[in-house]
Amino acid sequence: MAKIIVACGSGVATSQTVASKLNKMLKERKINSTVEAVDIKSLDHHIKDADVYVSIVKTNKDYHIPVINGVAFLTGMGMEMEFNKLVDAIKKADAKKGK
Amino acid sequence: MDVLKEIVNYVLNLGAAVFVPLIMLIVGLIARMKFKEAFSAALTLGIAFTGMTLVINFMTGAISPAAQALSERTGITLNAVDGGWPGMAAISWAWPYAFLLFPLQIAINIVMLIFNWTKTLNVDMWNVWSKIFTAVMVSYISGSIAMGFIAAIIQIVLELKSGDLWGPRVQELTGIPGVTVPHHITLLANIMHPFEVLMNKIPGLNKKVDADYLKEKIGIFGENEVMGAIIGLLLGFAAGYSVSKSLTLAVQAAAALVLFPMVSKLFAQALSPLSEAVSEFMRNKFKDKEVYIGLDWPILAGRSELWVAVIITIPVLLVCSIILPGNEVLPFAGIINLSFVVAALLLANANIIHMLIMGIITAPLFLYAATFFAPYITKLARSVGTVDIPKGMMLSWSTFESPDFRFLLSFAGKFNVWGIIGLIIWLVMFYWLYKDIDKKNKLNQTEGRKIS
Repeated sequence: MAKIIVACGSGVATSQTVASKLNKMLKERKINSTVEAVDIKSLDHHIKDADVYVSIVKTNKDYHIPVINGVAFLTGMGMEMEFNKLVDAIKKADAKKGK
Repeated sequence: MDVLKEIVNYVLNLGAAVFVPLIMLIVGLIARMKFKEAFSAALTLGIAFTGMTLVINFMTGAISPAAQALSERTGITLNAVDGGWPGMAAISWAWPYAFLLFPLQIAINIVMLIFNWTKTLNVDMWNVWSKIFTAVMVSYISGSIAMGFIAAIIQIVLELKSGDLWGPRVQELTGIPGVTVPHHITLLANIMHPFEVLMNKIPGLNKKVDADYLKEKIGIFGENEVMGAIIGLLLGFAAGYSVSKSLTLAVQAAAALVLFPMVSKLFAQALSPLSEAVSEFMRNKFKDKEVYIGLDWPILAGRSELWVAVIITIPVLLVCSIILPGNEVLPFAGIINLSFVVAALLLANANIIHMLIMGIITAPLFLYAATFFAPYITKLARSVGTVDIPKGMMLSWSTFESPDFRFLLSFAGKFNVWGIIGLIIWLVMFYWLYKDIDKKNKLNQTEGRKIS
């Protein structure tokens, strides 16, 4: 199962709002993955064993895993496109793990 | 009528962990959520309450004896334990009128958008708690619930105006088009603005600093477990504890700081279906209008300057808490001073030296506000019913958000002449800030056009 993380200032509000929304959307598509909200101050720890990173900030760092634009799920703009990108990334990660 | 009153009293006496979920269930059903979804959200809210009670009680249980020992040993009396914003957000929901702030914020935003009084569409429903918190503080101090609501209305209007004001800068700093941060946390820019104007005249203060590099180096001190352990250990030694007892306190403090956001997350989880429904409704209503979408401040959290400034101000706040005469607050769960840094980042446009100076000069303001509001925060916490604060101790928030603004609102709310005069001066200063930043925004725009 792919591990997806969302980070925000304290890993409480914005990230959990995005995570809850994504969990609901993934459930509706019957995709067995969960999204976890984490604290951006500890992102380096969390990213080590994550497969996809949903970011709500602009980042120039290369994380070696797919990065999805999380702001789309807050503003509603471009949401479908980002969600499809997320689903693709999850499928790829699952395939790699051989399930 | 008496029957109704009795029912209301009975429900309120059940305690916040029961009546808040009950209200949530009703609100969810009104917002046309499915029963199953509304029920699950309501129950999660109750769990969040219960979890937060455990963490607050654990924290006060671990820290209070050390604070009391510190006081006996050194004479430094810091008898207000800091629950940080997660603690405050939690207890705010225990106010019986809390949920009324949702429709209030939505209605004001709709009216202001229709009349073109604002460009900001605030879809951030999480921070409704900060309006609840303001309303509680002002109503406790003024003795009038109506005054609490008037204060919340003023805050909502100013937040939307701040959203308009900071929109272009937020978009520039985040690289995200069409968004802004209509959060009262930015209102601190108002009193820092004269300093910023002054600092802009001093040439040495605009040196470029590599914030990304600095953040790599000192970032670890901003992590909850590290910071908690350090504060716990220092407190243990200061209280005259033995090494083994100090180490235990260090681990307990680290545990508390890690558990706070874990439990606080449950509140966000419980409120998320409701906030999603509301923000979708709002966006659909104004989909043909050009607006800034208002989000919570963490969209700015990608800026390394913000974290560098926060981490460097941690020791400043600790030292201030010891040397400031009259301070009663022991900084702990709220020590990550987001309350100044978001405003400083926007106002100084990520100039890190300016931001640091702002953090240092405002530190006493936060501690004094935390001391002033501590009895009222304690009163609110006790109203939850299950929060256990030892006798002689209080609960507070070391980096009390919008300290100046909420202090003035509270005094103006009880018709104190100085409070009213202060609030008027504050509003005049806000007008100046608005004009100044608006001018800079427009200048940037025309310059941008010339280049492209």
